[in-house]
Amino acid sequence: MSEEVLVELRHVHKKFTTRHVLPVDEETRKRRLFKKRDVHAANDISFTIRRGEIFGLLGPNGAGKTTAVKMISGLVRPDSGTVFVNGLDVEKKRRQILRLVGVVLEGTRTSLWPLTPLENLIYYGTLKDVPGALLRPRAHDLLDFIGLKDKKNIQVRRLSRGQKQKLAICIALIADPQVLLLDEPTTGLDVLSGRAIKDKVMEMTREQGRSVLVTTHDMHVAQELCDRIAIINNGEMITCRRTDELLDLFSEQVFVFKLNQSVDPTEFSLIPGIISAQMEESSEGPSLVVQVVREPETLRSEALYAVPSRLWQSGCLLHAVSQRQQNLESVFLHLTDSAVKR
Amino acid sequence: MSFFRVMKAEVVRSFIIMRRYWFRTLTGMVIGYGMLMVLIAGFIYSKGGAGDKISQFDNPAAATNFVLGFIIGMFAFGVVGMFTQGLQSMATTGVLEQLCMSPHGLAVNFMAQTMVGAVSTIISSGILVYAVTWSVGGMLHWDMFPILILLTLTFFNLVGFGFMVGGLVLVFKQVGQIAIIVRMALFALAVFAREEILNQPWPLRFFLHMLPITDATISIKYVLSGGQMVDKITESGETIQVFSSVFTHPSFYWLIVSCIVWTVVGLTVFRILEDYSRSKGTLGSY
Ligand SMILES: Nc1ncnc2c1ncn2[C@@H]1O[C@H](COP(=O)(O)OP(=O)(O)OP(=O)(O)O)[C@@H](O)[C@H]1O
Ligand SMILES: [Mg+2]
Repeated sequence: MSEEVLVELRHVHKKFTTRHVLPVDEETRKRRLFKKRDVHAANDISFTIRRGEIFGLLGPNGAGKTTAVKMISGLVRPDSGTVFVNGLDVEKKRRQILRLVGVVLEGTRTSLWPLTPLENLIYYGTLKDVPGALLRPRAHDLLDFIGLKDKKNIQVRRLSRGQKQKLAICIALIADPQVLLLDEPTTGLDVLSGRAIKDKVMEMTREQGRSVLVTTHDMHVAQELCDRIAIINNGEMITCRRTDELLDLFSEQVFVFKLNQSVDPTEFSLIPGIISAQMEESSEGPSLVVQVVREPETLRSEALYAVPSRLWQSGCLLHAVSQRQQNLESVFLHLTDSAVKR
Repeated sequence: MSFFRVMKAEVVRSFIIMRRYWFRTLTGMVIGYGMLMVLIAGFIYSKGGAGDKISQFDNPAAATNFVLGFIIGMFAFGVVGMFTQGLQSMATTGVLEQLCMSPHGLAVNFMAQTMVGAVSTIISSGILVYAVTWSVGGMLHWDMFPILILLTLTFFNLVGFGFMVGGLVLVFKQVGQIAIIVRMALFALAVFAREEILNQPWPLRFFLHMLPITDATISIKYVLSGGQMVDKITESGETIQVFSSVFTHPSFYWLIVSCIVWTVVGLTVFRILEDYSRSKGTLGSY
């Protein structure tokens, strides 16, 4: 992975004004049809994507992932802040940038339904200035690779949802873009195709030095695919780290104490250095799950000593102690959940 | 040249669709012919008694005029419709967002689409005009050169107007419904536009001149149906018809003026509204 930055968002803000339909006011009997409300789809978002990197953008529904993708591809203009692609300001050099970027938005809504997949690729390829001699072979290659080989000459309207999604990915790839933006690319794909697309994305990124941004709700895809991950919620960036760092960060902190009986977790959460403590019941019996601070080391150590001694004092038998393996899903839940509570 | 690449893509696309849905194309024309004949019959029979009816057929210039108006009206209806209905349906299918991401820009793409659409409309309406005038026994004066010039000017006039309405549709999706009324009005105007309707107090007259279809229709009717002849009173008091080229007709100059105005206004408004639509994020919503 080189250090060259292909995509950069710098302090980007975007606010949408939405209208809410209101019910009749019971007291005054007056009806105000709409009430305007502001939605922050991006609130001071900054991140960079390097050449050869797969960047994951995660977040709950309505977090602002699609908005971020659209801002990079110039479909939505930020209120303030700047988006750069290959060092060029998207607002000022939109035309040039569009040649570098391939985008999959809602896949089923991309293609022209009366045409066949092959004709679609030729159409969009011509619009994107792909030289005529390259266009046809590349279109065939893409369709073969993605598994639409025997659907090349069937009208798109007769394809299934997943097949349309695959076609959308081909359309994004037809101009051989430097930057690939995939908004939920694996939605509706079967296991095999999802896998194939993951592999292809990896290959394209690593070997051909592209940058890829993926938004997804599938934590397994994100964990496997992405080098770095940003989590956003309500337009705010919660975290942006390397995937392994993100997982480490949380795995070290959560310890599970298997017990023979339930204890009151509030007592434990008061211990200095412990962030939270709670009881979990499983088929193997109750266990106390505590999350401890990462730093400073001494506080962390004290907290960890304190838990078993308290348990000893309360006459509780300790069966086993283990460190919880974190996966992205629990990290995600933890982060977005605490953001909601804040 | 970027415009020609887009044009090529659009030609291929609409050719494929036309071929794939040839039945629809064909029935469309047959139905168009049938409708026109019914309308003309209604037009003729509604005018006075049986005596008049005969004379109408003796002198079918009125019917020819009517047919021409009708077809120019359909052309206007279609061209502006490509900007409103076309844009709305593209927003619904999500293709609009893809076209916005084409490096040539939305305006160029629309221009190409409309041109391709207009060529096939002109060919099919040409056939229709010919078939219908022949059926009613009228006569058309195909003076190719002025006709091509007039059609081109009319086209850019309508395209400019269409760009303005289209820009509004991009931002305010509800405008699409109002646009239908506007298109109907253009249609009606084309059917009834004659030089006499310009005899109005000047603000109204100016307004009529500025509508994209008035002078276009008058000029085209002047060539195709009138044969570029004007009445002239000789010294001896007789009325004779003399040839007077459409290029010296005031409507022709008005047509050029409104063509320039609409192209400039339309493209400017479209650019501004496209930008506004991007900041509101309404390009892909429907
Ligand atoms: N054009 C628009 N006008 C008004 N509000 C909008 C517009 N586009 C998006 N929003 C709002 O901005 C917020 C973020 O939307 P966005 O589509 O980016 O979410 P997302 O993260 O992609 O969600 P999902 O996971 O459901 O795809 C939402 O609350 C949405 O209602
Ligand atoms: Mg989304």
